Amino acid sequence: MKKKALSLLLCSAMTVGMLTGCGGSGDDGAANTPAADTVDEAEAPAAAEEADEAEAPAPSTDGEEVTLTVLAGQSTTDAGIEDMIDAALAEKYPNITLEWECTGWDGEFHPKMQQYMQSGLPDIIIGKAQDVNTYASQGLLGEIDATYLDRGLDAARENVTIDGKTYGLVYNALYQGVYYNKTMFAENGWEVPTTQEELQAIIDDCNAKGIVPFASHMVDTWSIGNVTMQFMMNDVFNNTPDWGDQFREGKVSFAEDQAAQTAYSYNKLIFDNTYPETFSTEQTDCDARMVLGEAAMKVSGSWSIQNFLDIDENFDFGIFPFPNQTGDSKLIFEPNIAIMTSAQTEHQDAVNCVLDVLSGDKELAVEILDFTKTASMLKDVAPTFANPSQADIDEYASKGMIVDVTLGNNQLVWGGFQEENAADIAAYLQGDISFEDCLAASDARVGSSSAQ
Amino acid sequence: MNKKKTMQDKMNRQYFLLIVPGMVIFTIGVILPLLLALRYSFTSWDGMTVEKESVGISNYINLWKDANFRQAWWFTIKFTIANTIVQNVFALLFAVALDSGIKAQKVYRTILFIPCLVSAVIVGFVWLKLYSNVLPELNEIFGTNINFLLFGDGKTVLRGLVIANNWQWIGYWMLIYLAGLQSVPSDLYEAAKVDGASAVQRFFNVTIPMLAPAITICVVGITTGSLKVYDLLVSSTGGGPGRASTSVIQMIYATAISGRQYGYGSAMSVTLVVILLMVAMIQVKGLKSKEVQS
Repeated sequence: MKKKALSLLLCSAMTVGMLTGCGGSGDDGAANTPAADTVDEAEAPAAAEEADEAEAPAPSTDGEEVTLTVLAGQSTTDAGIEDMIDAALAEKYPNITLEWECTGWDGEFHPKMQQYMQSGLPDIIIGKAQDVNTYASQGLLGEIDATYLDRGLDAARENVTIDGKTYGLVYNALYQGVYYNKTMFAENGWEVPTTQEELQAIIDDCNAKGIVPFASHMVDTWSIGNVTMQFMMNDVFNNTPDWGDQFREGKVSFAEDQAAQTAYSYNKLIFDNTYPETFSTEQTDCDARMVLGEAAMKVSGSWSIQNFLDIDENFDFGIFPFPNQTGDSKLIFEPNIAIMTSAQTEHQDAVNCVLDVLSGDKELAVEILDFTKTASMLKDVAPTFANPSQADIDEYASKGMIVDVTLGNNQLVWGGFQEENAADIAAYLQGDISFEDCLAASDARVGSSSAQ
Repeated sequence: MNKKKTMQDKMNRQYFLLIVPGMVIFTIGVILPLLLALRYSFTSWDGMTVEKESVGISNYINLWKDANFRQAWWFTIKFTIANTIVQNVFALLFAVALDSGIKAQKVYRTILFIPCLVSAVIVGFVWLKLYSNVLPELNEIFGTNINFLLFGDGKTVLRGLVIANNWQWIGYWMLIYLAGLQSVPSDLYEAAKVDGASAVQRFFNVTIPMLAPAITICVVGITTGSLKVYDLLVSSTGGGPGRASTSVIQMIYATAISGRQYGYGSAMSVTLVVILLMVAMIQVKGLKSKEVQS
């Protein structure tokens, strides 16, 4: 019996170790290790210092070899840009080497950050603009020098600046809205809708003609979360810019706010007018079907452009904001790649060299923008790829009809809130829970809605 | 007597020295995190800040009210039961078939075993593609209307995952049974034959009792493995559609890491460990009592 008890105890110990991520996995475990526990309270800088001193001798300006660590939380469009950056850096600063750790922003990036918060952050962190709000407030990020920030657009600074200090160099941007098949719209005499009624008319006409109104890939829960924030931006934050703060103060709620409910209910509109197998359709398949003319529209973001043009470089598409209840929707703009630096880095000179390359090498910037099919956030830099939706973007920009989604993402964070709400919305669409339960679940999650 | 005692002491010292390295690593890597997880489960720690505010047992109380946690458990239990039954039955049947002296048994054994060499993450991707793209093509080819989109509906996702999981692991457990079968003394079968036992009677009265140790290993292994399912789900359904295939481990990860509720997530993991222990204890106790020695 004693042997059994001992064996069971050991089994349980192993299981908890694995569950808490401390049983040896390098991915997410450090937060729980005894070393980490001690480090987070007192010794992190010293530990990081020792490690850095051992691995990298000195700053780069005097030509000595320096290796900088980089954690890159990448969007689906970004995988591969690390090679471009390496090549550009090798040309200008051959003594600096970047040691990359690339993860999906939506998956492993935040767990990695939590891990490194215990053991010392990498020298450079590449994430999204909304991450600045999460990590700068913890005192983890270093201020970016104005030399490099000045090479970027002023509009890029607002949401990465806290108390007058800017902690992120925003590199590029995505646009989000409804991508539409221009040829199909022209053939059917459809005009870009600005109201829900006009959108419904197009949907009805699509259904009457056997055309799938919306392409979607709800198997990816993140896509539901993404479009829901688009809807929230135009129906909720458009009228109440501090809705998220009010939500935490208990002044508004999903269960009582008509606008928030409307935003959620648009998901049902999409679900009722998309492929019946949307919960089995991946993004690439979805985009391919859109390009092949099986669907008229797709609520998405610039990340779809890469697929659209890879599948058919002549695919003609445009973009418009998903119409809201008041007919004044704006195109969604999202600062994407944001370069942050560790407040504890021992190689600030070398880090600055990297920032110099990233912000100053226009050839590199164009190469990255063309590859990711995104817009530039650097001054005097524009991508050269043919973006059929650029004319629409320019038009909305000229009319001031563009809104930065970071406003919403900073107030209602992705991990733990938007992401979980999206799962509830999917459950509602699947008929597993009621709409009221879905709203109530979002309200119950209020404690996880902020990064602070 | 004294000499014998001294010898025993020496042996004990040697045993102790042999286990010290393992115990040190095990203590640092497993025991301490276990204790830390227990400690965190009584806090509201978000995994990022230095402060770990104590909240008493409120995390455990909240667990009982958490409908998503209950649903994750319900899915995990159904997945575990289905896997334990299907995997054991098919693994045993395949093992018996391969032990019967059929031709090319090594080829069959290899074919059945290969899937378990593949990462569960890859298996998830493969079956997602199979269900979404490849198998529906069969409908086109044969003019049938079979619903292959098993991952796309909350009502069928469990079925789809059980198929994928069993495809991967049946070969592995089959080998355990095969090894057990090959160790059954042939004279037991001969004696049963002499006593007039039919093939079915020999299977249930000789094979099964003699395989009891292998059954214990397989049942406990499959049960605990299924209770901890994570990687297959991440790459195939992502826990969806909705929350239809969210396992307990997946929910712990989402809560503690993505959701920055490390304390609450730790409470979930402690609960899981307690249940794992209970299940393992009951199974080991129950199955051990059925074991016989040849």
